Amino acid sequence: MATISITGYTDKVSYAPGDTVNFQVSVDNALQAQVEVVRLIHGDEHPEGPGFIEEVIPSTLSGSHAVTKQFVDDGNAVVVEDPRNLLGLTDSFTIYSFVFPTMPANGRQVLLGRYALNENAGYALGIDGHSRLAFWVADGKDSDEIASEIPLVHHTWYFVAVSFDAKSGKTVLHQQAVVNPYNGRLGRVAPFDHTSTVEQKLRVKPTVATSPFYWGAATNAAAMRGTFRDFKYNGKIDRSGIVGRALSLDEMKALADSGGVIADPLVFWDTTDGYGPDGIDDMVRDQGPNGLHGMGIQRPVRAMTGYNWSGKHDDWRVAHGEYGGIAFHDDAVMDCEWDDTFSWTIPAGTRSGAYAARVTVGEVEDHVPFFIRPTKATAPILYLMPTNSYLAYANEMIVHHVPVGQAILAHAAVLTEKEADYYQDPKYGRSTYDHWADGAGVCYTSWKRPILNIRPKWRSSAIGTTWQFPRDLSTIAWLENKNYAYDVATDHDLAANPDLLEDYKVVLTGSHPEYWSEQGLNDLEDYVAGGGRLMYLGGNGFYWVVSYREGQPEFMEVRKGEAGMRAWQAEPGEYYHQTSAEKGGIWRNRARPPQKLTGVGFTTQGFDECHPYKRMPDSYHKSVAWIFDGVEGEVFGDFGLALGGAAGLETERYDLELGTPPHTKLLASSTSWSDNYAGVVEEILFNHPGTLGTQSDTVRADMTYFTAANDGAVFSTGSIAWMSALPSFDFENNVSQIMKNVLDAFQKPGSLPGGAWNQEEKSWT
Amino acid sequence: MSKTSENPQTKHLVGRRAWRPAWPARPDRVLHRRRYFGTKRSVLKLSGQFNPKTLKREVVLTDKKPMFWLFGLFLLVAIPTAVGSERFLSLFGIICIYASINVMWTLIMGTAGLQSFATLATVGVGSYGAAYLSITFGLPWPLMLLVGLVLGIAMGFLISLPARRLDGLYYALLTLGLSEFCRNFVTQNEALGGKFNGALFGSARIVPSDMMTTRLGQTLAFLTTFIVLLVALAVFRWMNGGRIGLLLKTAATSKEDEAFASAIGIDWQRARMIVFMVASGVLGALGAFYSTYIGGTSLQIFSLDLLLLMLAMIVIGGLGRAEGAVIGTVIVVGITQWFTDWGPWRIVLAGALALLSVLYTRNGLFGLKEQMREIRTRRQALHRAAQTTKYAEFLPQQAPDIHDKSIIAGRTFERELREKLRGWITPEIIEEHRRSPLGQHSDHLERILNYFRKGPLPDKYAVYTEVPFQSYRVVALSGMPGVPPRIVDDKTYGSLDEAYHAVFMRRINDLKAS
Repeated sequence: MATISITGYTDKVSYAPGDTVNFQVSVDNALQAQVEVVRLIHGDEHPEGPGFIEEVIPSTLSGSHAVTKQFVDDGNAVVVEDPRNLLGLTDSFTIYSFVFPTMPANGRQVLLGRYALNENAGYALGIDGHSRLAFWVADGKDSDEIASEIPLVHHTWYFVAVSFDAKSGKTVLHQQAVVNPYNGRLGRVAPFDHTSTVEQKLRVKPTVATSPFYWGAATNAAAMRGTFRDFKYNGKIDRSGIVGRALSLDEMKALADSGGVIADPLVFWDTTDGYGPDGIDDMVRDQGPNGLHGMGIQRPVRAMTGYNWSGKHDDWRVAHGEYGGIAFHDDAVMDCEWDDTFSWTIPAGTRSGAYAARVTVGEVEDHVPFFIRPTKATAPILYLMPTNSYLAYANEMIVHHVPVGQAILAHAAVLTEKEADYYQDPKYGRSTYDHWADGAGVCYTSWKRPILNIRPKWRSSAIGTTWQFPRDLSTIAWLENKNYAYDVATDHDLAANPDLLEDYKVVLTGSHPEYWSEQGLNDLEDYVAGGGRLMYLGGNGFYWVVSYREGQPEFMEVRKGEAGMRAWQAEPGEYYHQTSAEKGGIWRNRARPPQKLTGVGFTTQGFDECHPYKRMPDSYHKSVAWIFDGVEGEVFGDFGLALGGAAGLETERYDLELGTPPHTKLLASSTSWSDNYAGVVEEILFNHPGTLGTQSDTVRADMTYFTAANDGAVFSTGSIAWMSALPSFDFENNVSQIMKNVLDAFQKPGSLPGGAWNQEEKSWT
Repeated sequence: MSKTSENPQTKHLVGRRAWRPAWPARPDRVLHRRRYFGTKRSVLKLSGQFNPKTLKREVVLTDKKPMFWLFGLFLLVAIPTAVGSERFLSLFGIICIYASINVMWTLIMGTAGLQSFATLATVGVGSYGAAYLSITFGLPWPLMLLVGLVLGIAMGFLISLPARRLDGLYYALLTLGLSEFCRNFVTQNEALGGKFNGALFGSARIVPSDMMTTRLGQTLAFLTTFIVLLVALAVFRWMNGGRIGLLLKTAATSKEDEAFASAIGIDWQRARMIVFMVASGVLGALGAFYSTYIGGTSLQIFSLDLLLLMLAMIVIGGLGRAEGAVIGTVIVVGITQWFTDWGPWRIVLAGALALLSVLYTRNGLFGLKEQMREIRTRRQALHRAAQTTKYAEFLPQQAPDIHDKSIIAGRTFERELREKLRGWITPEIIEEHRRSPLGQHSDHLERILNYFRKGPLPDKYAVYTEVPFQSYRVVALSGMPGVPPRIVDDKTYGSLDEAYHAVFMRRINDLKAS
């Protein structure tokens, strides 16, 4: 029996009442689906909590909708708009390029060409089924090819060129390597000789394919799917061009020395052109006479080292001429570009929150999530949901491709049916915790695709608990349970409206707000410095640098640098963001350790157990003792939906040397953890057998509190698991009590409790 | 504890010197790749490679077939011409004619995949038709060939009709019956020499009969048969090596393949018919050529024993290959025509060869190379399995096959680690894990767990959630994108802790077993 599957996404992350939400949904093997708009309240199905809670919102969407299967045209390419058909080449020509194939043995791939497989027409310079450079021509009936003498070696720069004489069919295919001590995987001592020149008469003259001219792809077509890109390339392409005549071999070789510059190009794409103070866009600029600029598809990665990278500079901002590399990945997905399946205009007055379209066909169900922000503040409390961090983890699949994953996580992976299915065909792209097919770390992630783990009920296969979004819903359930008036907004709303926080007395974070843009971080710092009150309810927050391009808030860039607990590391020289010209990596290495904002910063992670906190002596000081009103005993948080404790998973530490404000109170701490909790790598200068939980005092979670100017304050729990402890015992527990004490105090205008106890103690005991 | 004492394997040197033709590459020169006239195939399929042992560029001949063909065909034409005796010339003439028929039959059986035994019937119809018309109306030999071609195509059309409905054995029987029908038809037809037991002589010849007494005439006659063989081979190449052959290969071996080919839009029925008609046309023309060669025809052409002999030729050489058809013909015709004084024993010998070929080779003489390679791989695997175990250190002869040498060092480490860990497995440790699969454990258990968790992804155990918080199973990851995890048994577990422990017990058993 055919299996029904449902998935989808919305065109934006967040909407205001009055906006229209467009849902892009794909359903396999069904034509009608039932749809309801629901407000998501709780997303963790752990039996010790309230289970999954949603509230159906009466809406115009309610009812049955026609649905269809939609396909994903994945993989990077550059498409060249060519209205005058200058690249519909049928006469003599020469194509040349600098290329760095990363998977030459991955079957036929197009480097540059205009080729339609379904029409058997056009021409392309590419890689054949035997890893060799090749050139193909096809005339609608027949095709012909010329291939180089030797296979291409992966992660090596080559100058490649082909000249085609249409009259005689004489074709010369030339390749030579460009190897220096820096620019490739192998140095010059590996005795490869990569030079090959082959001459052959081709018996077919190309006809014009209806395909556009692509870098990195050909066009193909299938019955249900229509046209799509095929023969996709993995690797980098640098400066490239086409000359409208058949160059001699010497002329081609001269191009290798001139960096592709020639007096009479038909088109010369200078991939180093376009770098500005804010990075570089997706346009590949033609410096020839015809202005045939190319445009990147699915966001090819730029700001990558080029064939001529000298290694002297590790930053494109200093030497953009050495950064002509554009990386193509055949499995990159930034935008599925699906058709709208249905739309919903949010009525005025709809409360803010986490919402979803619940799409069902029989027993099969999916929640397509989105967020609604308030038009203006309706309450003193703002819950800022960390959508940057949701995107970073979107479709994360660590346990499937990281052999040491189970050792890092101390669990056998816990799979679900959806995840097992998805891994068979990860057609909706990967997370910034994964690698593209050629092994490069994924540095772009996007909202405009189905995301398995930004869903209620989802449990991380790595840990067996919830992670990010479904966990963060526990705070919504708690706010509802305690009858607070609150608003919900996201990182994306803060990016769009830097003044967002100003209208609130208190801002609550998510459980793992790990990824921050500079602007978001600045806004939050301004907010606290200006008298705002922050409840940092998570662990490993304010850690990685992210950036967005102006006008494209759905596509996020992350470059993981030379430190941090990281799933991959950018290649040397590729640490600087394409979309913002910032140095990527951890904020700590840009002089903004999280301690400077919240009092605590990332210190350890472990996934075998969570733990209770123990009150520290500071918590008995009258200036902060109110936080523990109603809490009995020294120990609290020895329960929770996340491995049985409020302290754990990823946790934070007070550290004066890293910028914890000097007047910060250490309220509570959780220590003596297992060896699965290891110290963070950015603090390990020399590794030694003492950096693990049973032997290291920095492996712990700290809860801190400090006041800021103008009645501002920051309360930090320093633990991801904190939020999952809130729902235990029907929301009646000491973690919930502490939250309530702090939130009640923070949401009141005026001075904070305990402020008067600010003098030197004169204790006789 | 000395490590060598644990390792009883005797190590010996491995390595092999270069023997196959490899030319040094000339990267500084332009490689002019030339092609056979009218085709896209390059002359001698030379390919460049980096020698994996030295990374040196070399050029190797990847397809040695053309060389063998040239050499073989040269011998086929040179030997009889040089010897020049009538016996040799006629023997090789018969070889060329039979080989041509067999090559076409191979096209029908191999490329088109039709079990047709009407091959000789088609040849016979062409032969009788052409001879009859030549004797009755004085048709010259070129027109005889044309008549043979037309009759062959007509036969092909006729025989192809039931192929749409009948398969395998039934179709084979039907076509066999057709041969018998043709034989009877001739016997009972006076115009076709029925009175003289089907002998119909006196048709036109390519080489006039008076010339056939001279060495020149005999040589010329032989050369015509050789040219016919070249034509048959060209047709075979054109059909089998061309686009049609490629299409048919997709639908070649099974019903599933046929369904798959249809599903991806290949009209294999049509392609099959085209091949069949072309081959039949050539077979008819071959029949006519036979008449022009011997100046007539006889009933022997429809005989079952000849058909079976030809089947033996195809089987001995290897079904589906032109070279198999030719070599098989040389062998069988050689035996039956050369050792005539052996009497019926030569037929027995040919039969025995065919039987041996069926019994002991997978696909005749030309399948032997691949068969030998597989036998070697199997023997090598058995031998190595006897010498070593899953976690033993690698043998010197295994190392050349392991591209990433860190795997070898890793194995050496792992072997020692596993031995240590095995010694730490106790009931207490297992009970400790059962009580609490997660969290800090005793030092030995912790180290055992770490080893398990760090293991490689292929076949790594994981837990599969059937119903959250109610029902879990143990699965093994594939470690390969696109390949789903495999459920290892039918047990289900009521909690995650039980499932974790089940995973642990499986790993403990695997560790103990090695």
